[in-house]
Amino acid sequence: MDWLFFFEITLAGLGTGGLYALTAIAFVLIYKATRVINLAIGEMLMVGAYLFFGAAVGWALPWWLAIILALLGGGALGMVLERGVIRPLLGENPISVFMVTIGLGSILIGMVELIWTANPRSLPNFFPTDPIFIGEAFLAPKTFWSFVVAAVVIAVFLLLFRFWRGGVALRATASDQGAAYSMGINVPAVYSLAWGLAGVIAAGAGILLGSIGGISSDMGLFGLTVLVVVIVGGLDSVLGALLAGLLIGWMESMAGVYLGGEYEHLVTFILLMVVLLFRPWGLFGTREIERL
Amino acid sequence: MRIGSPKESYIADEALFRTRTQWVWLWLLLAVLIAYPFVANLYWLFLVCLISINIISATGLNILTGYTGQVSLGQAAFMGVGAYTVAWLDNNTGSPFFINLLAGAGMATLVGLIAGLPSLRVKGLYLAIATIGASFILQFIFINWESVTRGTRGINIEPPSVLGVTLDNPDTFYWLVMPIMVVMVLLAANLFRTRIGRAFIAIRDRDISASVLGINLPFYKLMSFGIASFYAGIAGGLYAYFFGAINPESFPLLMSIFFLAAIIVGGMGTILGSILGAIFMTLTPEILRYGVDILSPYIDNAPQILSPLRTAVFGALIVGFLLFEPHGLAEIWRRVRRFFHLWPFRT
Amino acid sequence: MLVSKLARQLMAPVAAIALALGGAFPTAWADNDEIVLGGSIPMTGPFAFAGLQFDRGLRDYVEWINRQGGIEGRTLRYVGEDTGYQQDQSVAVFRRITSRENVNFYFGDSTAFQQTINRELDRRDILMTGASFASELNDPERYPLQFLLGPDYSEQVGILLSYIAEESPGARVAFIHSDTEFGRDPIAPGRSKAEELGLTVAATIVTPPGAADISSAALELRRARPDYAIFHGYVLAPIPDFIQRARQMGMNTRFMGTYYTMDQGIINEMGEAADGFMGVMPYRYYYDETGPAPIMDAIRELHGDYQTTTYTQGWLTGVLITEIARETLRAGKPFTGSNLRETLDSLSDIDTGGIFGQPVNFRGNSIPLGRIYRADVSQGQMVPVSDWIELE
Repeated sequence: MDWLFFFEITLAGLGTGGLYALTAIAFVLIYKATRVINLAIGEMLMVGAYLFFGAAVGWALPWWLAIILALLGGGALGMVLERGVIRPLLGENPISVFMVTIGLGSILIGMVELIWTANPRSLPNFFPTDPIFIGEAFLAPKTFWSFVVAAVVIAVFLLLFRFWRGGVALRATASDQGAAYSMGINVPAVYSLAWGLAGVIAAGAGILLGSIGGISSDMGLFGLTVLVVVIVGGLDSVLGALLAGLLIGWMESMAGVYLGGEYEHLVTFILLMVVLLFRPWGLFGTREIERL
Repeated sequence: MRIGSPKESYIADEALFRTRTQWVWLWLLLAVLIAYPFVANLYWLFLVCLISINIISATGLNILTGYTGQVSLGQAAFMGVGAYTVAWLDNNTGSPFFINLLAGAGMATLVGLIAGLPSLRVKGLYLAIATIGASFILQFIFINWESVTRGTRGINIEPPSVLGVTLDNPDTFYWLVMPIMVVMVLLAANLFRTRIGRAFIAIRDRDISASVLGINLPFYKLMSFGIASFYAGIAGGLYAYFFGAINPESFPLLMSIFFLAAIIVGGMGTILGSILGAIFMTLTPEILRYGVDILSPYIDNAPQILSPLRTAVFGALIVGFLLFEPHGLAEIWRRVRRFFHLWPFRT
Repeated sequence: MLVSKLARQLMAPVAAIALALGGAFPTAWADNDEIVLGGSIPMTGPFAFAGLQFDRGLRDYVEWINRQGGIEGRTLRYVGEDTGYQQDQSVAVFRRITSRENVNFYFGDSTAFQQTINRELDRRDILMTGASFASELNDPERYPLQFLLGPDYSEQVGILLSYIAEESPGARVAFIHSDTEFGRDPIAPGRSKAEELGLTVAATIVTPPGAADISSAALELRRARPDYAIFHGYVLAPIPDFIQRARQMGMNTRFMGTYYTMDQGIINEMGEAADGFMGVMPYRYYYDETGPAPIMDAIRELHGDYQTTTYTQGWLTGVLITEIARETLRAGKPFTGSNLRETLDSLSDIDTGGIFGQPVNFRGNSIPLGRIYRADVSQGQMVPVSDWIELE
């Protein structure tokens, strides 16, 4: 066993896992506030990456300004989707809402391809490019910096949930909608807020992901792995999303290297099946699922 | 205007087709179906064969989603199981095609039942997510079980032959796929006159009350899943024969979404909905193509917007129907019919 | 009120039915003096970058040859439609075009489509070629009415390997490929070919389709420390990422690619990092003016700016079918499937007007000829580093 190599692979895996965790937070946010399983999260992420591409390359803006615009755009997209499509369906059969998000994903892909075509693109690099060494172990700078950014963003959001008024309103709505209403919380505004924030996070994750491996209209597939992450972590658990994100990132790296690249997604989906069979509420989720 | 349709016996009440008008229309439809291959060209026959295959698969999915209330995103993957079983039998045993088709459907049912196991544990959307997982795992098997599937190179299938006639072209294949489609649709329609079908509907409407009524939920849910996979298997087998070659990329997740879209657009929980939805969704790309042709003098690079437009319209149809016409085309059809029934009065 | 609402609701299906009926009757057959080239062309979707160029190339060639008087006095006509690079759409387009036109030649857009439609070709007397260089199609027994527009993927890798074996015997080679039909195609034959040539296969690295993050694969590559790494099954991503990471890790592996990665795009998109990237290319680049090349001159005359190799591929399609059609007509034979195939087999030392650097011969269904080029970023061009290599 080559422990240095093992360690390097682990670091690389955790790097990817950071992005999974970040996107999973967006997913959990939406689920907690509106109880919607949003299959379009991957496509929201893709749109964020393309907005950045459009601003940074199309309009040739400086990268920091492009990032801000992309994040705002992602947030606006989240709010528009919530207001326009999700809210009319809230309270309906959850299956309809689920299928609507599938449709939304398809619309977003079509729009992106209409504007930017289906050709894969690369994003301008804004990370430092000096190699990072942790002891002997090499870590690609992009992986390192995107992990750092993801970690910081996650930390900021956790603090927001804890202390900011909006965050408290969000948590209140998630735990008991009726009580939240009666305490004077504007629940519809909380819905918008949750989707907006999720849009911002997804756009950020999209920019990070795109700056690592380039962007294309099918990068929304990333969302399917994120779906597995949140199921494994527990749909309504932020902690679960973080840990499961790192776990799945690490597992995929291991499988990719020691079994071969074709096994990367296989292990993810086998894990999904196992969790669904034996612990459907996930590692940290609330055990409220109705059993039959 | 038609006034009432009184029934004098339970048998009459349960009949699939209740009035003489319905029978007249039915015979007319049959006549059209028989006459069609003599007037249509090969391209339109090709489309009708494809539509028929899609109708079979969509009907299966509608039994599961529309009637039992379980969502599956694995319909395409189960079609793949049927297709690969047919392909393997065709290449290795030389058994007649209808045996292959049934074996393919049987295999798809078996795989579907295994994939449906999570539905025993939990309800709601978890099954949909489990079927996504199952699709990926099946995809992996299609790619990597090279001794059976020939991996990514794909596998060729000889056209079936009946009574010495080789069904290798839409004009001959039509005579295979159309009767099978009609039979499968009639079977599905009849299913809901039986205890099983009614149990499905009871589960969809309220699982707890269904349980109280003495319906064994896990059993019937699995059975619904099995039936949906059976339909997928038949459709997959026909797909393999029809196209003559399949590969792991023939049955992507997008195709499962296509079937889901078809039953949403057509109308969930109605047999007519599966038919209308499959027709509509198969023809949509063609209609868009004409639309883009018409627009091409007015916009630059019109051909280049076709495929993104298709993707977007595809999604917009799902969203639009769920928001504004949740019962789909079948409901529109019913409204039109009612309009004529009541004419000259209004609803 | 109700009627107008109803009319609105009825509009869409009625329009659809009207269209359906309109299409249900075949339009007039093309007259006999034409030679028709049909095409399922991926003008949108993930393969659009090449499909649009095929389309332009075919159009320009057809116009050009008809200005030269056509093929033995007959005009060549091209009918292509978009497929979005989806197999069912490709088949639908084929069905539509062949039900309207008397098609003689056809351009297919993918391996899967060309496999599926194979059994239709003989019935309709169509000779097919296309975008696919799959080794699977290079089998005259199973695909008698198809030919490839150059070396198949295994042969492309073979050409790269023979170059490596010559340049540095016994070198360590790694294969990096995507887990797709396209990516897997030449890997098994490539590995055995490498061993045959005395090279060491240091690693075979698979990346899942659409993988964005190749961190662990890059680490695997570093551990294998190959002298050469051959990419296959990609167009661009994740090649730049691999190369960038390899540089950062201090590796001096030389990276190589196959046909679809070798267009000018790799220099334009990768910039500095592309310098030294090598690969196999069967066709002359637009700016390669060494040696006489009348067809390339015609392209240069038509377009003052760079034309992609996929555009040239469209022209090559035209040149080859012109050659086949002309010989068949001269022999006075009708355009049946077996006659077209016979003509193809009888052709030798075909002059492609300089698209290939030397006269070409079919072996099986392919033309196993290509040349190694290297990206020179300072010139902004691909420069040849080998002679034309023909595999036996």
